[in-house]
Amino acid sequence: MSEIAQPSPIAVPLGAVRPLLLNWRRHVPLLLVAPLLIYMLVLYALPVLAMLLRSLNDPTWTLSHYTALFEDVVFAKTFWITINTSVTVTLGCLVLGYPVAMGLVRAKAMAPLILIVILLPFWTSVLVRSYAWMVLLGRHGLVNEGLIAIGMIDRPLRILNTPLATQIAMIHILLPYMILPIANALRQIDPSLIRAASGLGATPFMTFRQIILPLSMSGVAAGTLLTFVLALGFYITPAMVGGPRDITLSMLIAQEVDQLNWPYAATLSAVLLATALAILAAARHLPGVGNAFRMSMR
Amino acid sequence: MGKNRSHLHLGRRTALGLVGAGLAAPFIRPSLAQQAWPEQTSIPDILKGSGEIRIAGYGGTMQEAQTKGYYESFEKLSGIKVRPFPGANAPKVKAMVETGNVEWDLAQLSRGSIMNLQKTGDYFEKIDYSIVDDGVGKEYRFEYGLEMLLWAQVLAYRTDAFKGAVPTGWADFWDTKKFPGDRAMFGTGGGGWPEMEIALMAAGVPADKLYPLDVDKALASYSKIKKDVVKWWETGAVPIQLLTDREVTMTTVWNGRMAALQAAGVPAAISWNQGLLKRDAWGIPKGAKNKVNAMKFVAFSTMAIPQARVALGIPYGSVNIKSDEYIPAARQEVLPSAPAIKKQLVNYNYDWWIANREAVIPKFNKWLLS
Repeated sequence: MSEIAQPSPIAVPLGAVRPLLLNWRRHVPLLLVAPLLIYMLVLYALPVLAMLLRSLNDPTWTLSHYTALFEDVVFAKTFWITINTSVTVTLGCLVLGYPVAMGLVRAKAMAPLILIVILLPFWTSVLVRSYAWMVLLGRHGLVNEGLIAIGMIDRPLRILNTPLATQIAMIHILLPYMILPIANALRQIDPSLIRAASGLGATPFMTFRQIILPLSMSGVAAGTLLTFVLALGFYITPAMVGGPRDITLSMLIAQEVDQLNWPYAATLSAVLLATALAILAAARHLPGVGNAFRMSMR
Repeated sequence: MGKNRSHLHLGRRTALGLVGAGLAAPFIRPSLAQQAWPEQTSIPDILKGSGEIRIAGYGGTMQEAQTKGYYESFEKLSGIKVRPFPGANAPKVKAMVETGNVEWDLAQLSRGSIMNLQKTGDYFEKIDYSIVDDGVGKEYRFEYGLEMLLWAQVLAYRTDAFKGAVPTGWADFWDTKKFPGDRAMFGTGGGGWPEMEIALMAAGVPADKLYPLDVDKALASYSKIKKDVVKWWETGAVPIQLLTDREVTMTTVWNGRMAALQAAGVPAAISWNQGLLKRDAWGIPKGAKNKVNAMKFVAFSTMAIPQARVALGIPYGSVNIKSDEYIPAARQEVLPSAPAIKKQLVNYNYDWWIANREAVIPKFNKWLLS
């Protein structure tokens, strides 16, 4: 999502006498990425492929694991729960994150402090944060005790062990992924545009609607995509704070692995991966998102 | 503990297990009280050797009890070094054997998880029963593993929740009028199997008529409690946490976990009646480098004194009939192997589950999400 400066081919004229060296230099960019590329290929891509292959060739070559998906009510419901949770969480992150991103960009002296506040939970493990939410949202946790103390409720609400708890905890965990790309996009808006708008008599709201919002769409798109795709794969949090029926696709995959039904686990993983890729591919064609992609290619 | 009780699985399971360790941390060492522990002073020459053995267990308090119970004395008496690892589970054994990179010589699993895997290929070595102590009951022996720890999945409740009323069985667990409050039960996570036996007993099926399980009847019974079950737990730390935080008034638990809870002063108790008596088992992954040493350790660890020592360290029972003489009467009151408790428990039938798991679990999942 951030801009990666593409090293341009070195253009020092070397003359025809050293074609070999020239050739070598032309491949410098490739050589620079080669170690990571090899690392990712051998230690990530190949194992993932081998795992996905199990959905097709275990015990023999077959499509039966995929056709089984269509009859699997559990898969259908789990898939729906996963998508539904991811959409809700992404919207929550957007609504809460956008103003924070604006605040972060506008703050001058406070900016480092705000950044730390955003990033601090980012550096804490998902596990610890989920556990913290258990303490906060429990029937005798801080939130319930607080609401009782100020007289808003008489008896503790059940928040922990519900889908709401999953959403609250996931939004908290994923917020930085929304805030940072948006802030990045906002920071690149030429301040003179905003000054010009207000000079021409635009109200702050009009400036926001017609200048800031459209120009930050690339950040919104990047943040939304990132948050959504990450949300698709969550399982620690729903397992810890979620309700009795909050079974996400990842939880189902873990269950199938534990039950030694590996081909089907691989099939479900393939579906999860394909969903994420399909969303990325489809989102490319949206105007704002297209910008985000182009930006990173610049 | 077996596969269904391990709390240090891959990924989420690892994560949840760490939570478990964290939650349990304040309560660790509840029962390593300094009583007169029996000491194994010598072993047959056939159990002696050299080199090492890598044993996968569950870490935490279990590993502490095992270290004190039999790892240390085995090292001293046999000359074989013991290297314990946490995170034992059957999927990892499958992966290790399939990739030819067997990192464990011995794993603490269950008859269920061992035979489930063995059903699909050759993943475990056969046990050499010629060196196993004759105090180990026949019922604990099987071709590819030896059961080495008795534990119970039992009803636990907050003693401060029901004005002195005491639940004494699963019908009470289902009775939310007499015993108000939310419930938690074991689900299908962690490779475990749902507590269908419990649902059936709640519906009035006698303990000796449970198997073969009537799955539809069990689900119908489950439906009556479903709205009160706030959590289908999958690691042992979760029900303990729910009881501590007063999220539930009653739950199913692994009996060993309750000792820590009670030691921490939480007003909670076990109701042993109609609990499920389960067993952990040693399994030797196929192709283990030190399988001879593993076999020797399997034999040593199921001898009377090593078994008794573990039972003194953590409230799980012995599979060796001769252990009882080394366990004080006071300790017997918390052990699922104690005669007075064991007779209230229902012998868990792993074989039924191995044969029927594939059909039952999707059915349960479907019911859960409906």
